[in-house]
Amino acid sequence: MKRLSERHITRLILTISLIFSFSLSSQADIHVGGDAVKGKQLFNANCASCHKITEEVLAAPGLKGIDQRWKGKDELLILWIQNPQGAAGKGDPYLKSLVEKYVPTFGWMANQAVNAEEINHILTYVKEGDGAPVPTEELNKCLTYEEMQATASKGEQNDGLIWIIIIGIILAIIGVSAANISRSLKNAVNEREGKDLEPETGYWDVAKAWMWKHKKFVALGGLFMFCYLFVLLYGSLMDIGVYEGYKPEQPIWFSHASHACKYEIDCQYCHSSAAVSKHAGIPSVNVCMNCHKGIKKGPVTGEKEIAKIYEAIGFDPQTGTYIADYEQKPIEWVKVHNLPDHVYFNHSQHVTVGGIDCKQCHGPVQTYSVGRQATVAEINAQEDVPGLIKLTKPTLTMGWCIECHNKAEVDLASSAYYEEMHDRYRASENGQRFLRSYLDENMKKNTSGGVVDSLKTILTVKQLGGWECGKCHY
Amino acid sequence: MGMNKKYWTGLEELNNTEGFQEAISTEFKRDQSVDQFLSDPKLKEANTGRRDFLKFMGFSVAAATLAACETPVVKSIPYVVKPEEITPGIANYYASTYYDGTDYGNILVKTREGRPIFIKGNKDYGMGQGVVNARINASILGLYDGARLRGPRKGGEDVTWETLDTEVSVALASANAIRIISNSIISPSTKRAVAEFSAKYAGKVKHVQYDAYSYNGLSSAHAAAFGKAVVPSYDFSKARVIVSVGADFLGTWLTPNMFQAAYADNRRPENGWMSKHYQMEAVYSLTGSNADVRLAIKPSQEGQAVAALYDALNGSASGIDGVDAAVFTKIAGELKANIGSSLVVAGSNDANVQMIVASINQMLGNYGKSIDISNPTNLFAGNDAEMASLMEEMNAGSVDAVIIYGANPSYSWHDAHKFNSGLLKVKTSISVNNYADETGTRCTYQAPDHHFLESWNDLSPVAGRTDLQQPAIIPMHNTRYAQESLLRWAGNPIAYYDYLRSTYNADYTAEVMNSDNSWHMAVHNGTFASGNIQMSTPAAPIVSTKEGAPSVEMAGNVSVDQAVAAATAALAASPAAVTSAMDVSSALTAVRSAKGGAWEIVLHQSVMLGVGNQANNPVLQETPDPMTKVTWDNYVGMSPSDMKELGLNTYIAQDDEASLVKVTANGKELILPAFPAPGQKKGTLSIALGYGRGAGNEAIGKSAYQVGEMGEHLMEGDNLVPIGKNAFTLASMSGSTALYAAFDVQLEDMKATYPVATTQMHHTVMGRESVVKETTISAFLAEKDVKKGEASWNKLPTLAVHEDINGDGAINAQDRTYVKEHDLWREFPVEGIGHRWGLTIDLSSCIGCGSCITACHTENNVPVVGKDEVRRHRDMHWLRIDRYFSSDFETLEETIENKNLGTISAYGDMEIPSETPKSVHMPMMCQHCNHAPCETVCPVAATTHSNEGLNNMAYNRCIGTRYCANNCPYKVRRFNWFNYVGNDKFSQFNPAQDDTLRMVLNPDVTVRSRGVMEKCSMCQQRIQAGKLDAKKAGTTVTDGMVITACAEACPTHAIVFGDLNDTTSKNAKRAVNNRSYHALEEIGIQPNVYYMTKVRNIENEA
Repeated sequence: MKRLSERHITRLILTISLIFSFSLSSQADIHVGGDAVKGKQLFNANCASCHKITEEVLAAPGLKGIDQRWKGKDELLILWIQNPQGAAGKGDPYLKSLVEKYVPTFGWMANQAVNAEEINHILTYVKEGDGAPVPTEELNKCLTYEEMQATASKGEQNDGLIWIIIIGIILAIIGVSAANISRSLKNAVNEREGKDLEPETGYWDVAKAWMWKHKKFVALGGLFMFCYLFVLLYGSLMDIGVYEGYKPEQPIWFSHASHACKYEIDCQYCHSSAAVSKHAGIPSVNVCMNCHKGIKKGPVTGEKEIAKIYEAIGFDPQTGTYIADYEQKPIEWVKVHNLPDHVYFNHSQHVTVGGIDCKQCHGPVQTYSVGRQATVAEINAQEDVPGLIKLTKPTLTMGWCIECHNKAEVDLASSAYYEEMHDRYRASENGQRFLRSYLDENMKKNTSGGVVDSLKTILTVKQLGGWECGKCHY
Repeated sequence: MGMNKKYWTGLEELNNTEGFQEAISTEFKRDQSVDQFLSDPKLKEANTGRRDFLKFMGFSVAAATLAACETPVVKSIPYVVKPEEITPGIANYYASTYYDGTDYGNILVKTREGRPIFIKGNKDYGMGQGVVNARINASILGLYDGARLRGPRKGGEDVTWETLDTEVSVALASANAIRIISNSIISPSTKRAVAEFSAKYAGKVKHVQYDAYSYNGLSSAHAAAFGKAVVPSYDFSKARVIVSVGADFLGTWLTPNMFQAAYADNRRPENGWMSKHYQMEAVYSLTGSNADVRLAIKPSQEGQAVAALYDALNGSASGIDGVDAAVFTKIAGELKANIGSSLVVAGSNDANVQMIVASINQMLGNYGKSIDISNPTNLFAGNDAEMASLMEEMNAGSVDAVIIYGANPSYSWHDAHKFNSGLLKVKTSISVNNYADETGTRCTYQAPDHHFLESWNDLSPVAGRTDLQQPAIIPMHNTRYAQESLLRWAGNPIAYYDYLRSTYNADYTAEVMNSDNSWHMAVHNGTFASGNIQMSTPAAPIVSTKEGAPSVEMAGNVSVDQAVAAATAALAASPAAVTSAMDVSSALTAVRSAKGGAWEIVLHQSVMLGVGNQANNPVLQETPDPMTKVTWDNYVGMSPSDMKELGLNTYIAQDDEASLVKVTANGKELILPAFPAPGQKKGTLSIALGYGRGAGNEAIGKSAYQVGEMGEHLMEGDNLVPIGKNAFTLASMSGSTALYAAFDVQLEDMKATYPVATTQMHHTVMGRESVVKETTISAFLAEKDVKKGEASWNKLPTLAVHEDINGDGAINAQDRTYVKEHDLWREFPVEGIGHRWGLTIDLSSCIGCGSCITACHTENNVPVVGKDEVRRHRDMHWLRIDRYFSSDFETLEETIENKNLGTISAYGDMEIPSETPKSVHMPMMCQHCNHAPCETVCPVAATTHSNEGLNNMAYNRCIGTRYCANNCPYKVRRFNWFNYVGNDKFSQFNPAQDDTLRMVLNPDVTVRSRGVMEKCSMCQQRIQAGKLDAKKAGTTVTDGMVITACAEACPTHAIVFGDLNDTTSKNAKRAVNNRSYHALEEIGIQPNVYYMTKVRNIENEA
């Protein structure tokens, strides 16, 4: 809040001074007095692909300190922005040095269609910088999964099992010591009374005797323990091959939250083959470089992680150029979603033909840091996925696949292919019978939800053959 | 009607031997023994006590459980810079060309993520309708072969290219006589490179071309007849009558893949006519098995047969021993009735024989129609005489340097010994071959060439056509273009690609390929002659082009003398074009004087191995020979009756081994097993060429050597034992050409035996009939338009019923109804609903070439199991071709009655017709029955039916009870007895076991593990992909969008795949054709595979 008010004050002063300066002279300083918010928009639209507002050289010099460098040469600067080659002809020595320094590497800047007022906004923004803090709700939107977990689990540190075990052990120790003490006491009494001493029996004999004494209790307890262990064993056996939540360490600390949420990059920008191929594909480094040629510093990891991309492809972030004859090293990502070899899965069938949202299977990816396998609970908890099909079986198991194939529906009117299949159903007597039974079945399923449009020919994937072994195993 | 035939797959069945009876009584004849089950030889040696064993067991169970809980770490490595045209998971196809000196084909190479994994024919732009043979589509394995040379060598030691170039250049500079020995070079740019090399060492270089299997007789006959030493282009599409004397033009003669499609197109009975095919030969060849009339003759009689045909055409018929004059008169009559649309070919490499054949064709007006010598083939340009004189030169020590390019004379030259001794006298010898092969290892330097899938090249197979080879992968090893090597040694260090492009610049040649546009188009199509898929344009016969020459248009009866006179006059009119006239009379005299001995031998190319260029290709080795069904060996083929007379074993089942015999010809001998080949001419022997590669331990690939029962290479002393024996050694020079036959051969029984692996009686159909149906053309035409199921030659199977089917109240026990009326199952809902995938297989068109088998092998990751396992009936082929021999049953029925014998024991009497049996090739794969017997017996529902009519197999569900295989009437299910991917027994030949060869596996198909059943899936992966393509594009699946590997590879369209529910599809139309039927339809299992009755162009002889 402090900074905010400061900025308001500065603005106020600037506005006042601007009014003064306008009234005093036409030689107003172009670097101050504009609307920094408008300036930022303009900058991002026109300048950001080559310039930065820091000192860093991207595909052109960084703009920090431009007000000092161009002091008193506002007109030339405007010309320089609007028509660089024209301005260069004016013979300004500083401009000449700029041309010599940058044009051979980056070429001429294109003529920019901005007027003096807009330039004023931009330069104001350059001078003031990114002072405005991001609203908190926007920050929260892009929390990573780990951060959310950390917030969620703050209050409820629940390690019940460990406590039960610890208490159990303490009780056992107390019990054993108590038995010892009781025997010692008894012996002391016996000794005094001149009776035979109780023999020094081992703990096991004592336990046996105790168990013999409390047969019913032990039998019930034993049965309970057996059942408990059996269920435990069964559960763990059922977990074999289930890798929900699997999140291997990756060579690069890549944040989906930052890319997919904060910058709203579409999944298929990087995983472009998902639409056409069986593999969704991990983007090759040249795809990363489309953005990271400019973005050299991350908000969390700084330059460290992004440098790994440069190392792979051979890019020098200082000069902003690719290193010639560089021996490129591919990045060895660790596969997150592993299907057994005997399963054939095709992304394009689901993405392009089925039109299924990536999040239906991959969950809230926009909250992940490095990739992880979603759990069914996470998938079901999503609220921003239209038509989400809620499933119960663990992800990437066959039960999960066929559960969805049982629920997912295909509109036979959605493409020429299905339309023809529909026609074939209708053309044969057999087909009509099947079609009718399928539609009846689906209607029954849906009537609880209200009126069903019986004219719509929607079948489930299963009814179209999606449960047959040969559709995924060959 | 003589159509009620008895079919048998092998002599065991025909003779109903005890072994056969035993074999058919058990489904899996050889169960796996405990030894094999454990399969690791080390296990047997280990001395493990019971307690230890239990401990190990306990530990491994615990370890396995723990391991199962751990997430596997799988790396996923993307490109750094992704090539634009590659999308992971999507295949790319590149047009290219295959040429190895023998085989030629226009191909499309399928690559996945940059790896070539499949080769198929280029149907759009390829020659001969883009057909490729089994060798070409299996050649993909060669790319990944670990035995390929990985860089330059000197004396067996690795050197750098710089060292090699320096030393070779120095050696060449001081050489006075340099010789280049190559196979036929058909690449214009390579020829340019050779010319540039020759120019550099002007006057010192001589380039000698020779073909492993020579057609020099054919070209020299044409030199003598027409003044052009060419091998003509043959166009079988224009031949209505075909007479072949010893030419296996569908299997091995010239380029069979260019002939097969055209041949089959002329033999579709729906045309209303069929070409008539006569075959005269000693060995029952693939072509012979397709002939309408086959006459067995001895190799020494080939000339006489041609001469007799010549005489018959001339009106003075005479017979030869074994073939009556009337036969020749009949053939001559048919030929004369089809002037200009017939074809007479001969396989002999004797110029005299070919001379007579040329004059017959000339007389029949075939030149310019079915034979083209104005656009001859550029292949097979070898010259045996030049090669022979080079041997003399080398042995005389007058050759200083030899460069071997593509050729392998140490193996394939008949007098290899002489070549080898000559090579020792050459100071500098350089081989540029891919392998350190027989010749290469004897050379000082090896400068290995790239593999053809790594290379650019231009190839001109026929005048007026240029095909391009383009790389589908960057070179895997440190190899270099042979052309670059030659040019570098000639002082021109240019990249071959640039050199190739410059060939088509205007300053070098008139061909218009210099613009980038036409170049890119040519690369895309794989050929420069875009759109032109004809082998050649028809040209006028040489004689009729001469001005003022008498017309040689033939009509009606014309004598050969008239024709020859016409030809001679024409040639006399323009002597400049022709060096000599046809001198047929001396040729006739020469061939008539040929004398045969007691035993004669034919050395023929093997249909699978050809001349042996790919002897280390395990897929080709395991694909059975189309006629004898022998794998992994060559053998002496003999007539079964000859063998019986000599007391050799004719019943070669798995327990009975073949008898070894010694064959002596031309002073050289070979010891090989004798194998009974029904149909082979009595008194003749046959041996396939192409075997016995690497007899001197050369590194030509581990699959080229024999393997023992435990997977170890067999050794003879320090040498590996090659597969088969090299039969080239028995060849000889006859005059100026090589002769692949010997007319006086000694045969000796070695009184020893040798195991041979044959699939001939595997998976028999238990004597059930109605598997193969056939008829004659006249019978077919008589009922051409009859509804399906009613023609006399393709009746629907019926069952006797005890019900009133006429509605007249009478119950007649003779009443029969269609089998489909009686069903245990409910109709399976695929007819008319959704897709119903199926195959139709036309037995009339199937020539039995085996391309479908190798294509299926590569597409579906089918394991190679090796000879020992094939001997145990455990071949894994998803698709096999059953070859049935047949004889007339009617005569036999009489015999049975006369002899009053039971039917089974009377089978033995059918020995006599097996002298010249007819045969049928029947591709057999899973029939995808709608009422599949296999599905109902699977205890775990691992094999189930899909709503698209497919019989699915879920491998991961299968527990290996093998009930399904027991219940399959077609015997098409295969059990994985071993973990073929990991077991040592298969390490020498199974592609999945080799680190580099594994890259050939299709990533869309599971590699099966031990203990599961597998079978034809009808290329499920392709069906799914095709459907997905349609869905993605929002269109319907149109006919041809999905095609199985076998249908794609079929050269004759015998196998057609499609959606039977799409009534407009070619497949659906064939399924309702009146020739189509189901194999074993009477058992009512309703397969989705249809067969079509075979029609022979023979008279109704019954």
